[in-house]
Amino acid sequence: MKNKIKVYRAMNDLTQDQLASKLSVTRQTILAIEKGKYDPSLNLAFKIARFFKVTIEEIFTYAEPRE
Amino acid sequence: MYNVLYITPMKRNTFYVFAGIIALLEVGILWISIDMDNPLPIQIGFVVGIALVYLARRMIVDVIQDERTVLIAQKSALRTLEVFWVVFFLTSISGVIYGFNRPFMVRPHLPPQEPTIGIFGIFGLVQLALLCLMIFLYVGFRIYYARKYGEFDKDEE
Repeated sequence: MKNKIKVYRAMNDLTQDQLASKLSVTRQTILAIEKGKYDPSLNLAFKIARFFKVTIEEIFTYAEPRE
Repeated sequence: MYNVLYITPMKRNTFYVFAGIIALLEVGILWISIDMDNPLPIQIGFVVGIALVYLARRMIVDVIQDERTVLIAQKSALRTLEVFWVVFFLTSISGVIYGFNRPFMVRPHLPPQEPTIGIFGIFGLVQLALLCLMIFLYVGFRIYYARKYGEFDKDEE
């Protein structure tokens, strides 16, 4: 899954730590999502989209997992 | 709850210091247990210590657990269990064989000896019992979580 969290974070002038704090997750989780190493749950994906006031599709794009 | 237990919310680093102090205390209690030749102090101390650490962990104000850390913990616990139960079983069964071995068919019969169950036998039996308990506990948790996450739910149609 690809995502634009880093872009939205930059647009909102937020650090990973600040975003993590707002979403009640660890900074490493934000980092892992940004790097594509961890796909968030639907719940967290919605929380992220809602936080940036956009739809999920604007942030997350489905991509076939790499083998 | 904080007021009742007189434990205030703490930072992650404070928790680590607290856990370190508990560990040092455990070492002290272990020493007392050895000196007294009685395992009871360390048994009680260990249970109380672990309970305090678990309690303190819940008082941490920083976010230290989220869905990713839970997933990591779940996967590593499962992998550990998958490997460890085999090792545990082998150790236990070896202990039982050492403790209860008697000539039967393969070995030549020797003059009868006073049957004794060595410490290995007892240890092996206890370990086997614990292993069985662990498997029952695992199955119990599997059923609990399967039910919680809809494994046994039926379609309405």
